[in-house]
Formats: sequence, structure tokens, C-alpha cells
Amino acid sequence: MRKFLSMLLVIVMVLSMAACSSTPAASGSSSSGGASDAAAEKPMIGVTIYKYDDNFMSFVRRAIETEAGDKVELSMNDSQNSQATQNDQVDTMISKGAKALAINLVDPQAADAIITKAKAADIPVVFFNKEPDATVLASYDKAWYVGTTSSESGVIQGELISQMWQDNADWDRNGDGVMNYVLLKGEPGHPDAEARTKYAVDTVVAAGIQVNELELQTGMWDSVKGKELMDAWIAKHGDDIEVVIANNDGMALGAIQSLTANGYFDSGKYMPVFGVDAIPDALEQIKGNKMAGTVLNDAKNQGKATFELAYNVAMGKDPLDGTSWTLDDTKAVRVPYVAVTMDNIAFGEEAYK
Amino acid sequence: MADQTSTYLLEMQNISKSFPGVKALDSVELKIRKGSVHALMGENGAGKSTLMKCLFGIYHKDEGDIFLEGEQVNFTSSREALDNGVSMVHQELNQVRSTRIMDNIWLGRFPKKGLFIDEEKMYQDTLKIFEELDIKLDPRTKAGELPVSESQMVEIAKAVSYNSKLIVMDEPTSSLTEKEVSHLFKIINALKDRGVSVIYISHKMEEIGKICDEVTIMRDGKWIATRRIDDITTDEIINLMVGRDLTHRFPPKSNHPSEVILSVDNITAQYQPSIKSVSFDLRKGEILGVAGLVGSKRTDLLEALFGDRQIGEGTISLFGKAVKFKSPHDAIKNGFALVTEERRATGIFPNQDISFNAVIANIDAYISKTGLLDESNIGRDTDWVIDSMSVKTPSKKTRIMSLSGGNQQKVIIGRWLLTEPDVLLMDEPTRGIDVGAKYDIYQLMINLADKGKAVVMVSSEMPELLGITDRILVMSNGRLAGIVETATTTQEEILRLSAKYL
Amino acid sequence: MSEKTDHKSIDYLKKFLDYVMNNVIFFVLFLLMIVIVVIDPRFISLTNIRNIFAQASTRTIFALGVGTIIVAKGTDLSLGRQVGLAAVISASLLQAPAYAYRMYPDLPALPVIVPILLVMLITGLFSFINGVVVAKFKVDPFIATLGMMVIVYGVNSIYYDRPPYGAQPIGGLDPRFANIAQGYFEIQGIIIPYLVIYAVVAVALMWVLWNKTKFGKNLFAVGGNPEAAAVSGVDVAKMLIMVYTLAGLLYGLGGSLEAARIGSATNNTGNMYELDAISACIVGGLSFSGGIGSIAGIVTGVLIFQLIAYGLNFIGVNPYLQYVIKGLIIITAVAIDNRKYIKRK
Repeated sequence: MRKFLSMLLVIVMVLSMAACSSTPAASGSSSSGGASDAAAEKPMIGVTIYKYDDNFMSFVRRAIETEAGDKVELSMNDSQNSQATQNDQVDTMISKGAKALAINLVDPQAADAIITKAKAADIPVVFFNKEPDATVLASYDKAWYVGTTSSESGVIQGELISQMWQDNADWDRNGDGVMNYVLLKGEPGHPDAEARTKYAVDTVVAAGIQVNELELQTGMWDSVKGKELMDAWIAKHGDDIEVVIANNDGMALGAIQSLTANGYFDSGKYMPVFGVDAIPDALEQIKGNKMAGTVLNDAKNQGKATFELAYNVAMGKDPLDGTSWTLDDTKAVRVPYVAVTMDNIAFGEEAYK
Repeated sequence: MADQTSTYLLEMQNISKSFPGVKALDSVELKIRKGSVHALMGENGAGKSTLMKCLFGIYHKDEGDIFLEGEQVNFTSSREALDNGVSMVHQELNQVRSTRIMDNIWLGRFPKKGLFIDEEKMYQDTLKIFEELDIKLDPRTKAGELPVSESQMVEIAKAVSYNSKLIVMDEPTSSLTEKEVSHLFKIINALKDRGVSVIYISHKMEEIGKICDEVTIMRDGKWIATRRIDDITTDEIINLMVGRDLTHRFPPKSNHPSEVILSVDNITAQYQPSIKSVSFDLRKGEILGVAGLVGSKRTDLLEALFGDRQIGEGTISLFGKAVKFKSPHDAIKNGFALVTEERRATGIFPNQDISFNAVIANIDAYISKTGLLDESNIGRDTDWVIDSMSVKTPSKKTRIMSLSGGNQQKVIIGRWLLTEPDVLLMDEPTRGIDVGAKYDIYQLMINLADKGKAVVMVSSEMPELLGITDRILVMSNGRLAGIVETATTTQEEILRLSAKYL
Repeated sequence: MSEKTDHKSIDYLKKFLDYVMNNVIFFVLFLLMIVIVVIDPRFISLTNIRNIFAQASTRTIFALGVGTIIVAKGTDLSLGRQVGLAAVISASLLQAPAYAYRMYPDLPALPVIVPILLVMLITGLFSFINGVVVAKFKVDPFIATLGMMVIVYGVNSIYYDRPPYGAQPIGGLDPRFANIAQGYFEIQGIIIPYLVIYAVVAVALMWVLWNKTKFGKNLFAVGGNPEAAAVSGVDVAKMLIMVYTLAGLLYGLGGSLEAARIGSATNNTGNMYELDAISACIVGGLSFSGGIGSIAGIVTGVLIFQLIAYGLNFIGVNPYLQYVIKGLIIITAVAIDNRKYIKRK
């Protein structure tokens, strides 16, 4: 009986592994080359994603894969939000003979260890989306970074808010010339949350608009929390709230759910809600006139830039060879954020095509 | 004060304790002489356990004083009592079953050598105590492997290891065979010789006469009398305990066994060691006793009949038809009921009320047409259990845990009577129950037999086997040693059969 | 005479203190409410009460499920992940046909009840497996459901992170679906969200099940003393399997409602909900030793947590401090509740 059970177990495991490896998206590590014939000529590029089920990163991942096409053999890895796992994956890729690494760090402080490994094997590294310390990046001549300026998303959101506030006089519901806003913040201490919170408001103030903060509370990036906080705020302040600012679209969408349930977006009652990320659902809400605007973190171009740099260095060329990107003084390519509103919704949608 | 210290080891004076709605102890006194064995007697619910819990600080007494060797004491935990030389051997034994005997004895104060436990010293010390008490056990045996009787010896050895001056034994013989009882008495006498006093809580009159020097009797939370054992008769003790005349210990037998309803042919349990090749018939209206030593697999026999133990070979026929019970549920559906021995482990649902405990086995009977339970029928049947079993309880919504052991047992028996079984299996049904309640239970068994039911009763108490059964089946080491007619047999014959396959 | 009155007044004081201790959680709650109201009197409003009840609804449904398991001396760590699975699957099958980013672009608009029943079937099946593993293979419930928690998350992620849009929150829900959770009645100016109705119905049904049926009695028997239950003729294994499966059905229902309530679902929806639900049960007086608890207790536990979370958010307490307060409440409640049982031993 026991023998039978262990046999059964083995069979089930083998079958399920086979099943997994046939669906690339589901497996921890897979190669898009696969067959051995072409592998010899095509360079291999090792890519790690800090967490496969991160919304934004899944688009960067797809952009990299699309960009790569047949040109290279990609070794894709899900680091499962664990830096230890990622380090092991880097070891594996180096030993498999990767010509270049594209690393989306789990922990930005861990770049050092990756660089040490890459240096030892003399392999170039392109970090992306999570920015290593400038000094660490400078310590290895074959290391580059592709990402954004984290303050920029806040600045762009702030500019968007100022612009639309000045264009829509009726948003100032009580007509006192002061913008009464509530702000849904991401995880406290998270660099993006801190930067977006600070720069969004600072930019509005810099544009000469008087502001009054009714509430500022963390929604931990979570739409459930965003909704429940908004429930409480509407109960507390009612129509005194004039603008809702959220550090990401998830919380903004939660707030919209709450607002809808409380009678907004119906028979002329409107509330401008701003997010960041431009996820599909947010674009849909903008089209439905329930969301004022969001900021596109350009996944497509980040993925494109990451791949182009990694491909160039893998082929031994200059990283920017044949591309339109520029490096700043920290060896970083900065992909710009883009504000998305009803006016340029098509541009946002393009990101998901 | 000075001359009191010379006579009494322990004095408890004017102890009172109330629980919501009940005065559990009312100015009770208890005086124990040095080096004496003092019986503490009373019906269940008389307050014996409560008094002991006040002594050990498990309960906080409301009033009264306790003196140990003339010094006023007020223990707040059994650990503190232990450190002061007062220990208790529990009715329900508490041991860490997965560790060795000696680990249990020295738990909490292991001898140390530097940072480590001094295994050798622990072993030798244990052995020394065992020798003194004439206990023949290897201290390295796992505690869980010991039968109840030997676990109890270990508990006593543990008490001795603490240099106890006073050891409280709560129903120490309730699960011992005659031979083990005489060993226990030898140990108690050895303790006396060392100047240790013993408080001996028991319902067994024969033992009290044999081993005790003095007796204190309690009733309804009150002190009734303290006498020298030589100055009082068994009948007087019983009268003082129940507060009324109880001339007969057993009700008159009025049942008449008739035709065979259950036929057991050569059954052997699937997993050994257990019962082997047991055959017998059970008649309508019969009370069949099952005798045997501890370890003779009497309980296994009941479990096999009840579908709770797999039968490898042999057949059971009920009303002439072969039956095979895969689970207790099957057995219950076919009119069987089992009152288990381990009340706490397999009997009561401690956190539920009396009503729940009374009706749970008969729950199918209360499902109404809507699929819901019929509360009024449940209430009626609970009342019936409380009345007919004379359960002492404030209400049927009282949690069963707050009743005394005897009253819990009555509720459990009532539970099974509600299912109107054809065959009632009872495993030590009167264990740890006072005389008055025992009489009630005997009467119930006879009434059932009168109504044409069959009762199988496993018991270690020879008097009750001889007192109310029609026949006695004797088990020895898992096998059937013989079936005797109660009217013609003797205690000696049963003991001889018990040892047949040893 | 005077001594006697002294005794009496001491008695009353003792009784009062006992009462306070036995119901301390309510007193703590009461105090917190007073603090919140003093800081912001606007807290007392119908809107707030409606919000609290609506937000507590799905949580009540989850707690009813896991609470039943706890009474049967078990636990279920897979709750949160099962809720996530239910939310993701139901949302994916109920995206508005006009929405541009549907997981199944060609799927016709299904009757809302179909995906919900399907999801209940799926979580019921996972929980059925939990029950079998616990009851038949005798795996400790903590371990069995820990394993299931990881498995369900994996399964959900595989389902979730697929073409055409990959790991994207599943939004753009069919308005009919969103409306079952976000809609409400209005009776004489008082708004009653549908969600609250579902929760009330679930509570009522579970109350009947616990208190008025054979299932309920057997539940308490199996939890209170499994061995005694077995000799009393209860099929313990079957009961456990039924209990887990029932919980799974509730997770499926609650998970679908959760998706509809939030308006979107991701594979992280429901993450850690098991801890919230279990804590609510424990604070409501259920015990891990089994066989103890009441439906009223579960509802109270959930409401207490919701009231605190909402109230603290309302007055803007630092979220980290909220964790500390929540944790303290769990420990205090259980420590004091245990006191009730220790005392009478």
C-alpha cells in the first residue's frame, strides 16, 4: 500500500512538472529558445523579475519578451520576492553561460552581491526598474540601469492635477479658491510612496494653488483599503472633499468604488480622482469619466530599453548602439512618465497592445 | 498550640467555600494524626474533592484556617504544597506519557551535573525509592506504556521522592485488581512506618476497614463525624454518609433471563494483542458480568461487540442473524449501547450542558419533519434522565463539567438509556461513584433486565459482580477462562479462572 | 448587622468585577468608542454604521466558515487564498462584455449566479480535500491547511497570470455583478446595502445549523470530545469532511462577493484574511481546544474588529499603531476569556 502511494506521488509530481513546463508563464524558470539547434548561435540573456505576479512588472516582462523575439535565448526567472532566490538564479544563469544579465532587483540594496558575481564572470549587467545605489553602479564598468526618476511620477501627477484644477473651475466646489484634497498613500517608507506623496503636492503648490489636506492615510497600495478609507472619509467630510489623490491606481480604483456607492458619478455629481500606473482598469475608468487622470509608468519602453541595452552589451557593442536612449551621469537610462487623461487615452491603451 | 503539634500533622478548621448558588463547604474540619491513614468518606458531591482542592490551593477557601505541624499555611499552588511535603496521587493520573518514568518523577527538579542532567543519579535515586516501596519497574520505561495500576505506583514514588509528610490518595484502588490492591496496602504500610500520613479517599468499605486508622465522614459539604475505625461499623459509616438507613447494598433481583438474543462465536480481534477466540451467549433479561484482571482485555471485548474494534475472525449473531458492525454508529443502529470506562476521555463533553450530554447519542430521534431538532422533546428527555437517574444539578443547562463524577456518570448512563438499547454494554459503570448512586445504578440495570433488555457489565469489584449479575464471564489474558453461574460460584473460583492463562 | 451588609456590598462589588472581567472586551470596545467619539464627534452617524456593517459582511461570511471548523477542533489557514481564488475566478467570468481587457474576450454575459455557484463548487472541492486530509490521513489541521494555502495560491496564480493580459487586476466587472455587492435598499431614508442582507441570511442559516440541527449537535460533540463522539455513534471523519466542505462553500460565496465589493480581484486578494477571520472568532469566544463557541460570538468578534479598524481609520491613527492595538485586543480577549474556564476547573 505504502509503495503504491509513493509511486502515485511520484507519478503525480512528474506529470504536474511536465504540465508546468508546457506553460511558460506558470513556471519559475523557462527558456524561450528551447530547442538546442539554434541555441549555439544565439546569445543567452538571463533575466530576473522580482515577482512574476506584480502587475506592472508583468508588462515589462512581456515587453522584454516581445522585443527579444528570436534574436536571443532568454532565460526568464521569477525571484518570488526573495533576494536569496534571485542570487541563486544569477549563479545558475552565469553557469549556464549567459552573455548578459538583466536584473530586476528584489532588494535595491543587494546590487552589490549581483555585481560581485557578474564581475567574477566578466558578464555585463543591466539593472532595471529597481535602482541600485549610484556608487554601487559606478563600481563596475559593465553595469547600467534602466528605470525612471522616482520623483518624476509625483511631479507629473502634480502637474496634471494643477492643470486640470485650473481648467475646471467647478471643481472648487465651495468656491474658496483652496483645493481640499484627501491623499491615499502607498506603503509608508516605500521610496515611491514617499516621493509621489511629496512631489505631487509640492508641484501643485508650486503652481500657485492653495491646498488644504483633509486626510492623508496609507492604503498600503491596496484597493480594499483604498475603498474602506474612502468610505470613512466620505462619511466624515462629505462634499468638502474636492480632489482625491492616490499613489497608485489600485487605491484610486478602490476610492472610485466607494464614491460610486456614495452617489458620485451619477446625475452630475463628480469627484476628480488621480492615480499612478495607468493599469487597464484605470484607463477604462478614465474613458467612463470616473477617473480624472493617471500617470503611465511606461512598461513598454522600460522593457524595450532594458532589452536593447542588454542585447547590445551581450553582443559586445556599445550599450546605446542603434537606440534612441541617452545615459545620464549615473549610467542610467531614464524612461519618462506620461500623464494619461481622456485626451490621450489611446496612448495609454497602446501600452497594452 | 505546642501540644497540638505533637498530635496532629494537619489541621483544617472551619473551612468554607461557596460557588455561585452552592455552598460547597460549610465549616468543615479535618485533623490528621502523624503516621496515620485517615479515610475521607462521603457521597459524590459531599465536598471531599473541594476540601482537598482548598488544601492544595487549587481553590481559594472563603473562610477557615489550615495548620501544618502547627504552622499556619495557605498554599497557592500544588507545587507549593509539594515543596512543603503535601502531595496528591490523583484519581485521573497526570503524567507525561511520552517520557520515561524517572523523567516524570524528577520533572521540574532534575539532578544536574554542571549544565547537564545527571542521568545516572536520576536513575539510581529512582531505583532506591522503588526498592523501598517494593516497586518492580525499570525507571527507564516510558510512562505511557504502564497500565493504570503501575502509573499509580509511580505517582506514589514521586510523592515519596519529595519527602512528603502527607500523601492524599484519591480513589487509589478504583482500577486495581485484588493483588495490586494488596501491594498498594504494603506500600501504604511502609509509608506509615516512615511516619508519613495518608488521606485515603475511597468508597470501598472493605478497604477502609483494612488499611485506615481513622475516618472522617462528610455529607452535603458539612463535616459529619470523625471516628477511630475500630469504633465504627460499615453500616454506621454508610448511614452517616447517606444520612438515611441503607440496609441493602444491592437491590433485590427481579429479572428473569429468557431466550438468547446475542450469540458470539469464537471471535478474535484483528489487531493483537487483544481478545482471542471468545464465545458466549447473551440472553434477554440477563445481566452478564465480565470479570478479569487488569490487562485481561475485558474492555477490548466490549469494543469488539460495539464495532469500535475490528474483528478478524469469528461471528456475532443478533436475534439469529449474523451482524458485522463497521463502526459504533452501526452498533447503535442495531440497538447496542456502550457506557465507557474512561469517563473523562471518552464519555463526557465537558463544555456542554447536561441536556447536550444526555441526548447526543439519540440525536436522530429528535429530528422533526422540518429537519430541525425538536427542542421540547429534547427538554422532556433531559428531564427524564435527570429525574430517573436522580442527577443532582441546579438545572439542565448546567455544564456537565461542574457536576461531581457520580452525577456525570448518571448522565452518561441516562444518555444510553434514551436510545432504548437491546444490549447495554457497561464498562466499570460504578467506578468512583458513591454508595447511594451505586445502588441507583444497580436498580436501573435490574429494571432494564426486567424489561427484557440484556446488560453486559465489566467490573473489577467482586461484590457487585456477585451481587447483581446472573452469570459471570471470566477473561484471562485475552481469552475466555470460563463462564460461571453467579448463584453457585465463589470469589475464589473467579480468581482462579482469572489466572488461568497467565 | 453592619458586618453582614459589608459582606453584601463586597459581594456586589465582586459580582460586578466578575461581570466586567467576563465581558471585558465590550468594555474595552466601549472605551475605544468613547475615545474615538471624543476625538471626532462626527463618528456617530448612520453612514458610518452602514459602512461598518457593509465592510463587515464578507468578513462575517468567512468567519462563519472558519469558525465552524474551529469549533470542530480544527483551523484553516487556506481561507485567505481560497477567497482569492474565488474572487479571481468569479471576476474573470463576470467582466463586462464591453470592457476592453477581458480575460475571456469572447465570453458571453453569464447569469451572475452561474460563476458564483461554480466558484463555490471549486472552493468546496479544495476544502473537501482539506477535510479528507485532516479526517482520514490524520494530518494536523494546521499543517494540512498550510499546505493547501500554498497550493491554492499557486493554482490561483497560474490561472491569474495568463495571456492575453498577464498579471493584471481583473477589473471592469459586469455592472450586474458589481451591483449584487454594491447595491442597496432604501427604507425610509435608511440605506441597507445588499451585502448586509447576505451576511444576515448567512448568519441566520448558520445559527439554525449550529443550534437546531443534528449537524450542530454533532459538531460540538466532535469538537468537544472526538472519542466520546465516536462511541456515541457520530461518524467523526464524515463530520470533519462536511465541516471543511461547508466552510469552503462559504469562502466561495464570500470570495465572489468580495470581488464584486472591491470591483476587481488579483491573486493577492484575500491574502491574510484567514488571520482576521480566526482572530475575530477567537475574540468572539471560540476556543482552539474545540467544542466551544457561538454564532453570536463570531458576529461580535467580526464587528469588534471592523469597528476598531474603521474607527481608528476615521480619526486617522497611524496604521502601524493600528496593528499594535489589534494584536493587543486579540491577546487580551483570549487571556481574559480563558480565565472563565480556568476559574471553574
